[in-house]
This record gives sequence, structure tokens and C-alpha cells, in this order.
Amino acid sequence: MGKIIVPFGSQHIALPEPVSFLFETENEIITNVEAHVGYVHRGIEKAAITKFEFNQLPYLTARVCGLCSITHAGAVVHGLEKLLNIEVNKRIDYLRMFVVELDRIHSHLLANGHVAEVVGYENLFMQTFKIREDVMDVLERITGNRVQYDYQVIGGVARDIDSEIVEFSKKKLKTLKDNVLKIMDFNDSDYTFGLKTKGVGVISKEMATKFNTAGPIARASGFATDARAEYDYLPFEEVGYKMQLRTSGDVWARNMVRFDEVLNSIEMCENILDNLPAGESKVKVKGRPEGEVVVRVEAPRGECFYYLKGSKQKVLDRVRIRVPTYANIPILKELFVGAKYSDAQAIVLSFDPCMSCTAK
Amino acid sequence: MLKMFIESFKNLCSSPETIKYPFAESPEPKGYRGVIEYNEDLCIFCDKCENICPPGAIKFVVSDFETGKKEYNYNPYLCIYCGACVTECPKADEGCLVQAQTRTPPLGRVVPKGEKLGYFINRIDNPKEVESKWREIEKLNIKTKEEYKEYKKQQRLAKKKAATS
Repeated sequence: MGKIIVPFGSQHIALPEPVSFLFETENEIITNVEAHVGYVHRGIEKAAITKFEFNQLPYLTARVCGLCSITHAGAVVHGLEKLLNIEVNKRIDYLRMFVVELDRIHSHLLANGHVAEVVGYENLFMQTFKIREDVMDVLERITGNRVQYDYQVIGGVARDIDSEIVEFSKKKLKTLKDNVLKIMDFNDSDYTFGLKTKGVGVISKEMATKFNTAGPIARASGFATDARAEYDYLPFEEVGYKMQLRTSGDVWARNMVRFDEVLNSIEMCENILDNLPAGESKVKVKGRPEGEVVVRVEAPRGECFYYLKGSKQKVLDRVRIRVPTYANIPILKELFVGAKYSDAQAIVLSFDPCMSCTAK
Repeated sequence: MLKMFIESFKNLCSSPETIKYPFAESPEPKGYRGVIEYNEDLCIFCDKCENICPPGAIKFVVSDFETGKKEYNYNPYLCIYCGACVTECPKADEGCLVQAQTRTPPLGRVVPKGEKLGYFINRIDNPKEVESKWREIEKLNIKTKEEYKEYKKQQRLAKKKAATS
């Protein structure tokens, strides 16, 4: 039997975003794979150092990705605040943490829904997306938009929250928690879902360490890495952050670790709402950025890295973005070799690939 | 599997989660970031909103060199509704630049009109012209600003001359 090359993408029914894999297969088994990731390149790094001034950057980098727009805007804001020597108060930190965690919840629920869809469990996909609406409503109410939040700005947040929004969010988070527990149970105990996901695409802890994976993919293999615990850009420990680990490292574990994180994030959000410190939602901004800074934040998909360099000009000298999906592509290629072609979709989607981040 | 069957049967009897959007109404939520409204009487023409606007959807065209009056041009189809101009505006509290909670209709057969939307969109009748006319505005914005700068320089020189003589 000869080798057959099967294209997967750039347009594929299982893929939410364009990425192309060329699988070299022998019978059903993949023997070699070639990946192309740059289909949605928009030149954002170049635009950031030519067309846009530093105070417009949070709005530009928020457009890197639709799902983690809060993380990207937040990363650039943290970096610029370091360059401008701005100290923000506790209320701003808490409000930022609140939206970051809400962002993580809706991103993880979307990823888990997509995994359920590609393994052929359309019903679970619909249920997951149904419960996701609650967190989208909360974000829409706080920031004023459903997808592009533009919430974190240099020196604070775009708008403060009042007691009405706090009550609204608490109510929504409560129903969300009940629903997430229910959906988690479907994922956990369902026999057919387990057949397609358990033991598929296993990453051992050694592999995860060797390939330097990031985010939930690493944590599902028992590799304890999380930028929230390693760097103190926001006080996550104060509001009850706990690292979530699973050990089996397959598609199922990656789904479950994301559910664990969703539950932890809901708990953190509730703590934030209960203990919201008083204060201004914005501090004064003066001066121009000088020097260079490295920012590492935890995006929903893993560690997101920003490098900013400025020399007292309105436009920065260099903006470098490295996103978590880019760090996870090498191990993805490694996983495919030896796997069945029918499992390829589930493996790709369990990585929660964000191609618009990667190509930027 | 059994649990999901029960859940699915429950959903069969319950009311739908979705709405039939074009036929049913989908109102904006409270605090929605919508179209930017402008009040010319309060404006001091500081250009701060123009400078911060990330996509460049606000462009001032100098119409009167003597008084320094500028025409506010706003393109709601280029706007990303981030609200940066409103936070930057020094007179935002008085209502010079306000983010309303209404959305812009998709660019179809008609162009939205309104006194508070500025000069640009009110001067256009054909939706197909929005893009080409906006390019003209962008060119005019640069040209008139340079002319205004030159005019001011000349005036300063004339003043200096008058003072020395």
C-alpha cells in the first residue's frame, strides 16, 4: 500500500480558523505531517511600530484575536505601565482580574464545545454553547460589547462597575456554575464521549516538559506551569487561584482541566465581586514610554509573551508578540505521527488552536 | 448517555433559547457601546479625539482660517466603537462627545442621518460613495491642516513685523 497525502485545512469543517496540515498516511495511520500556520497574517507587529501611537496600542492588540482580546490588550497595558512608571490601585487590579477570568471562562467553554462537536457529539456542543451565553452576557454588560471589549486602557479600565452590575454578574455566575457542573458531568461520565477522547493523543509529562508546552495542554499532562502563579502581574493568589492539574494527558484530560479551570475562575470571580476594594477606576497618565520591558501573562491557551521597546517617542521601536498556540505547534506535529487519521480532528481541536493569534 | 437523553427530552419541552433575529427584536443591552454623538457648540477644537482614534474615523477639516473653526467628520462605518475619543475629550462631561447606546444600521440602501453625526455622513446620499468620499476627507484633513499651520505662521510673522516697526 503506497503513501497518500491527505490535506486537512486550510478550510475544513472541523476548524474554526484557517490552518493547514498535510498528512502523509499509510492506511489509516499518519506517518508524516507538514503544518502551515500563516493564513491570517495581518502584519500587526509592523503596524504597531509604524502606524499606531503607544496610546492606541491596547485597541490594536485587542484585535489580534477575538477570543483573548482582553489578554492581549492587558499584556500591552501592563508593559506600557511599566515603561511609563504608573502604579495602579487595587480596584483597577481587581476589575482587570475579573474580566480576564471571565474571558478565560468563555474561551474554555468554546474550546470544550468544539471538541465535543468534532468527536461527533453535536448535542453536547449545543449544550456547552448554550451555557456560554451567560458569561458573554456578563462581559457585554460590563464592557459594552460582545466580542471586542476594549476594557483595559493605559492607567486603568474603561468604565467602572456599579452595584447593579455586581448583582447581575452574581446571578449569572451562579446559574453558570450549576450549568458547568452539569456539562462537566456529561463530559466525565459519558461512555461514547469517552470512547473518542480517552487515550487519544496522549502527551506524557516528559514530552510536555521536553517540548515546552504551555497552558491547559501542559497542565493536563501534570506539568505545572501557569503564568498566573509564576509572574505577579495581577494578585491572583489573593482571590483564590489554584493550579489545576490532571495527569492522563489525553484529549479527555485536556477538556477536563479546562472545566476545572472554569470552575476555579468562577470561584475567583465571585470572590472578586464580594471583596471589591473602593477607589478610582483610572489613574493619570503622563509621559512617553522609555526603555524595554518583557511581559508574560496567562492567556486562556497558555503563556502569552510581549516585548515592548520605546525611546521617548510616540511610536514604539519594537513590539514582539509570542502566543501560546505557537509554542504548542511542535508537540502537535509530534502527536500526529502514529495516530489514526480519524483522531486528527479531535487532537487539533483539543489544543484549542488560535490561528489569528499565531499568524497575527 | 442516559443523562444526556433525559436532558435532551427536557429541552424538547422547554421554550427555545434562541430568538428569530431578523423577525424578533434584539435590543441593545444596558451600557452598550454605540455610535459617537457630537455637539459642535461645546467643542473647543483641541483635536484630541482625532489623535487618539485608532482607526482614524474622526477627521477635522479646517473651514475658517480666521476663527479656527473646524468641521467634524465622523465615519460610523470605520469606527470601532472603542470609546477612546470620549474618554480623551476634555468636554465629555458637558456632552461634547457622547457614546450613545444605539447601533449603526448595516450599510445598505440608505445612509444614517442625524444632526449629531457630524458633517460627513449628512452630506452623502448614496451609500456607495461613503468610501470614496471618506478618502477625499482624509486628504482634505491633511491639506487644510497644513494650510492652517502656514496661515498661522504668516500671521505670527506679520504681528512680529508690526511690533518691531
